[in-house]
Amino acid sequence: MPKALRLPGVVLLLAILATAPHFAQSIYYERPVETAPQEETIGDGYKTPEVQKPLPRHFWLQWLDVLLLGAAMGAAVWIVLARRRRRWLVWLNIASLGYFGFYREGCICPIGSIQNVTVALADPTYSIPIVAVAVFFLPLFVALFFGRAFCGGVCPLGAMQELVLLRPVHVPRRLDQALGLLKYVYLGLAIVFALKPALSRDFLICRFDPFVGFFRFSGEASMLTVGAVFLIGGMFIGRPYCRYLCPYGGLLSWTTRLANRGVTITPDKELDCGLCTEACPYGAIDKMRAVRRKCLYCARCYESCPRDGELAHAKEELIEIGGPR
Amino acid sequence: MSGDTTRRDMLGQVVRGTVLAGMGGAALFLTKKADGQMVWQVNASKCINSRLDAADAEVCTLCTTECVIALSAVRAVNEYSKCGRCSICPAYFDVTSAVGDDGLPSQKLCPRDAIERKPIGKIDPEDPANNFYEYIIDEVKCDGCGRCVLKCKEPLGLGSIVLKVRYNKCVDCNRCAISIACPKDAISQVIKTEGLESSLASHTD
Repeated sequence: MPKALRLPGVVLLLAILATAPHFAQSIYYERPVETAPQEETIGDGYKTPEVQKPLPRHFWLQWLDVLLLGAAMGAAVWIVLARRRRRWLVWLNIASLGYFGFYREGCICPIGSIQNVTVALADPTYSIPIVAVAVFFLPLFVALFFGRAFCGGVCPLGAMQELVLLRPVHVPRRLDQALGLLKYVYLGLAIVFALKPALSRDFLICRFDPFVGFFRFSGEASMLTVGAVFLIGGMFIGRPYCRYLCPYGGLLSWTTRLANRGVTITPDKELDCGLCTEACPYGAIDKMRAVRRKCLYCARCYESCPRDGELAHAKEELIEIGGPR
Repeated sequence: MSGDTTRRDMLGQVVRGTVLAGMGGAALFLTKKADGQMVWQVNASKCINSRLDAADAEVCTLCTTECVIALSAVRAVNEYSKCGRCSICPAYFDVTSAVGDDGLPSQKLCPRDAIERKPIGKIDPEDPANNFYEYIIDEVKCDGCGRCVLKCKEPLGLGSIVLKVRYNKCVDCNRCAISIACPKDAISQVIKTEGLESSLASHTD
């Protein structure tokens, strides 16, 4: 019996030695684990149970997140650009908030991935997950063609603010533009802090995320308060975080400038009634034209339009009902 | 007029193509560089609770209090094959509490009652103190406070309980809040490789 016992002991020692370089600076102890009674000693057919080892999400499940991100953006583009309906978009918002927000607990997100990409570009020793790369670039590629579909359809932070927006107030244009510069300052700061050497490196965007605490039902009281202030303010000022602070929103508005498709106000259909300008909570309609870099894909303009969207469709139905008997 | 529009369109397409190529290049570069997922890991020989030299130290509960998710992603694990299966387990019982009628300490150590104790092997009803007992830590109840880890040490324990990360709960923060707070730098980020299961499994001492 001792021989049988000794072999696992040697294997264990080798395993311990093999992992030793991982903690070269730590104090090393020989744990008297060999004295632990094994199956033979315990007897009566005892089998040592498996130790629970909860593993990270499967790799393909992480790709599922990327796939869903792409699919949700596709759905947003289709609903807003082809269907021109707001109601469906609200459901997409709720679904995104549920999955990317509450189920995935706000991680992994393109906003935070700015920092990972920055570090990966600057620090050759830093290892970036492939999923983070995909999550960072996908919304930017979509924005290059269709505008900020990510903001309108997928982002859980955006969806949260979108859903609390009850009585939108128009922010004066000058103030709106001045506050809009804040996000570039924030982007700059986030990059500067991410570029610091590994030990003093900080991830500002993640640390000062005002809404992630809600998704996880826990967090620092100070950040939860900031989040609550954003949500209460967001009942009147449309999506304050997205418009004035979100660093990824800054990147998206740059790439959106090049987009060849996006929310449009069709010149040969318009009535010059200005209802869409009134309806846009984000100041993204200027002189009866959509400002794509500011447009957050909410489709409120279509909803309010008497010649397009739901109102116009409703009219068609009315005509049909009142028409031929 | 229409010529103007075309020229503008074309210019737009050229700029878009350039940006697309630039971003694609960066994406490709990063994709090639991307070498897997980083995971946070507790180093048992640095952790105050599991280092063997600090049996009488105060328990460190930072893993419970600092984690950003509601129930900490760190929990205690009993490596069964290294467990002494003691009758009076110093991690299960509060050994300083009064001894009851059954000859066992009356209080349990775990504030959340997350450890189950059950006799195993050949049971001798005449001499229960000489039986072996299995100590099973409830994965769902444990919040990683480290009290049991601190007590499972020589001379009473063998050091079979260590703190580990629940990888199904850990949200992989860019900077783990526990690692920022940890006074002994016992939480570090490692690259998750193909052999994650085996490397994490052997990383107990």
